[in-house]
Amino acid sequence: MYDDSVPLLRRLAVAGLTAVVGWGCSSGAPRDTTRLTVGLRFDYPTPNELIGPPTLAYAAINDQMFLSLMQERGDFREGPPVWAPGLAEDWEFSEDRLKLTVRLRSDARWSDGEPVTAEDVRFTWLAQTDDDVAWGSSYVHEATLDVEVLDPHTVRFHFDAALPTVLADMSTGAILPRHAWEAQPFAEWRGDPDWFFDHLVTGGPFRLENRTPGSELVLGRNPGHFETDLPRLERVILRATPDSTALTNRLLAGELDVATGIAAADANRIDGQSGFRLLAYSNRQYTFVVWNTTRPWFEDAATRRALALAIDRQAIVDTIWHGYAKVGRSPVISGVWAHDPDLEPWPHDPDAARAALHEAGWMDADGDGILERGGRPFRFELATYTGAVSRWDAVQMIQADLRAVGIDAQPRRVEPSALTQRLQEQDFDAAASAFAIDTSLDFRPLFHSEGIGGFNFAAYANPEVDRLIESFATRADPLDGREDLHRLQRLLHDDQPMLVLWEPLSLAAFNDQLESVAPNALSPLANLKEWTWR
Amino acid sequence: MIRLVLRRLAAAAVLFLIVLTLTFAAVAGAPGDPLAPTDPRIPAEHAERLRALYGLDQPLPARYLRWLGAVLLSWDWGQSYQTGRPVSGLLFESLAPTLLLGGAALFAQYLLGIGLGLIAGRRPNSWLDLGVRGASLLVYALPTFWVGLMAVLVVGVGLGLAPTGGMTSAAAYELGPLPATLDVLAHLWLPALVLGLSMAGDIARYTRNSLIEFQTTDAGRAARARGLSENRILLVHGLAHAAPRLLQMAAVSAPLLLSGAIVAEAVFVWPGLGSTMLQAIQAGDVPVVLAATAYGAALVIAASLAADLLLVRLDPRIKAE
Repeated sequence: MYDDSVPLLRRLAVAGLTAVVGWGCSSGAPRDTTRLTVGLRFDYPTPNELIGPPTLAYAAINDQMFLSLMQERGDFREGPPVWAPGLAEDWEFSEDRLKLTVRLRSDARWSDGEPVTAEDVRFTWLAQTDDDVAWGSSYVHEATLDVEVLDPHTVRFHFDAALPTVLADMSTGAILPRHAWEAQPFAEWRGDPDWFFDHLVTGGPFRLENRTPGSELVLGRNPGHFETDLPRLERVILRATPDSTALTNRLLAGELDVATGIAAADANRIDGQSGFRLLAYSNRQYTFVVWNTTRPWFEDAATRRALALAIDRQAIVDTIWHGYAKVGRSPVISGVWAHDPDLEPWPHDPDAARAALHEAGWMDADGDGILERGGRPFRFELATYTGAVSRWDAVQMIQADLRAVGIDAQPRRVEPSALTQRLQEQDFDAAASAFAIDTSLDFRPLFHSEGIGGFNFAAYANPEVDRLIESFATRADPLDGREDLHRLQRLLHDDQPMLVLWEPLSLAAFNDQLESVAPNALSPLANLKEWTWR
Repeated sequence: MIRLVLRRLAAAAVLFLIVLTLTFAAVAGAPGDPLAPTDPRIPAEHAERLRALYGLDQPLPARYLRWLGAVLLSWDWGQSYQTGRPVSGLLFESLAPTLLLGGAALFAQYLLGIGLGLIAGRRPNSWLDLGVRGASLLVYALPTFWVGLMAVLVVGVGLGLAPTGGMTSAAAYELGPLPATLDVLAHLWLPALVLGLSMAGDIARYTRNSLIEFQTTDAGRAARARGLSENRILLVHGLAHAAPRLLQMAAVSAPLLLSGAIVAEAVFVWPGLGSTMLQAIQAGDVPVVLAATAYGAALVIAASLAADLLLVRLDPRIKAE
């Protein structure tokens, strides 16, 4: 019996293995042109944006299902943000700009057939500013006094100050469905994010068709959307993929049509592969090294400028970013209209750095190869975040560059929240970090002396810089403040509280049969509703 | 036996409590504020509001007692800072995939290990035996993440014989029960094999040695004298001789499988406890880290307890007392 059963078992095992492996084999079936599979890093714990994670990917997904009043265009190169109609058909300011009247589209409907009304806009404002909801971006309504419902399709915002960022502020956050969500008290929102899946109605071009927590979201065409010819795809499957290597593998194995968030190190695996095209597009980020100006090594601008001369940023960009980044010149990054094009980055010139350091009083008196000033060796800790691979690589290259001019920078990786706390408390020497530029160009938190103890990590204080930041913030038309920002950049360039290392490009790979894709700095899925198969 | 079970259960409960306390202390004592805003535009008051909502404005001992009470009385692990979802629900979703992967890896480990051990033990010191021993040492020495990455590149991307990651194909919810099962198995076999392979060497070496030893025992000689076939002697009697220790090895490998699963889940994008824990650590999501660590500890304690009790049951030489 024992021996007789072996062939049968073997046959069953072979049949089972064949079925399983056969199922997993890449399929040669013709493409279903009604659907698209996209890989990106995301977490989608709730459709309620006010309590969702504040990530770019989350916002990119939610934008497909919900509408905001106006839509910010993703190009800031030519001028300040431009606003296209979204749920709002048109809008007008009062003469003193303390009132904004917004007319809503009358044909906008929620996915359950209910009309989108001015009451939804007011409800959204109430939720956005509620303490229990604790929305991270509630600061956009600091100047909003009231949202008045004039008629079912007209609302009026009342402000106590005429801010130039009003349209950006009023368009931050999607409009929420009052009739579906007001049944849940605001105080309960954070305690039960799943509730919103059970009571989900959407107003955007897509609706949520299915979700597998942590793995997948399936968006389906919303037949009730007012743009009746959009979206062009019936279904978009979003596959959560946590890192660039896995994204690239999935793409190359044919499991994805689109992969967003490809790292530069993986780009060469995709670039040149038939069937795909790699798009590099600008984003809003820049990476920098910030010098703590309360530390004796970095208290004078002359020394900080010498550090800029000593660091070979082009080599860092070439080595780590393989050409998918550019050397940084200013915290007003080059893809933004207010960037000063006349600003030249500090060149890599070790001899000039040595001379500048000598002039600033740094000398190697004891002959140990490390400079000293006032008996204090130029030896400091250069920190960055754990998990930030490119920054850690850069920090080590900076260490070598600085060592060549007699400075001992000691790299250290610190857990992110611990380092952020240390940066804000000025409990650090120097650190490599990154910011995404706010398109409103409000530099108060970063460089104004009021920001010390917050995000002005360098503890940088310059009265002229404070004045320029305040001057720009009061301009009704940001374009009038261009010269303020150019002057600000030149001051930061000379004072060097931070050295901008690089401006990275975002990378995404697309099946070359896809048409009309146009990712931008705001979203890798921008204009998803227009994407179509050739 | 009942007294033994009760005593071991009590010891396991105490151990679990110690793990909970130490984990809480380690996480609470870590520097940094996971709720601090990372966006310069967000005012500091926002973090204060969140701290109050999550009870972090309370003194540490009060937080510990409240947390422990909620865990022990109602299995309430709090809310994820990152997603706002209840942690118990979050982990429940990721526990099943981890158990599936761990179970499949254990199966692969024993299937490979015993199979190779049988081959080696049948002809000691033959080329086959030397080959198996060398191979088992090699796979033991190779890091799981490297083997996993290579497997994805070669088997998944290169040969297209398995999906490169995940637990299901895109939109798998549309599949019927049988195709859906096949789909999960197609995603499962490669990570389970990679994870199982790392531990199979140990099993192979032990099985081989045990079979060789069995053939020199009275029972082995008696089986041969009764004219039983070589297969029956090795497969039935030889493996029965090795079984108690093999079971104990299963318990020993449970923690290693769990730590290996964290790596394998990251490489194969497997949506399990390891992936959840890794993301929580990266995001500073303290409640999830605490709960995932406790779940891991509970799994290891339960596996050890089960193996010990089984060993007492199976091996008459070990007395319950």
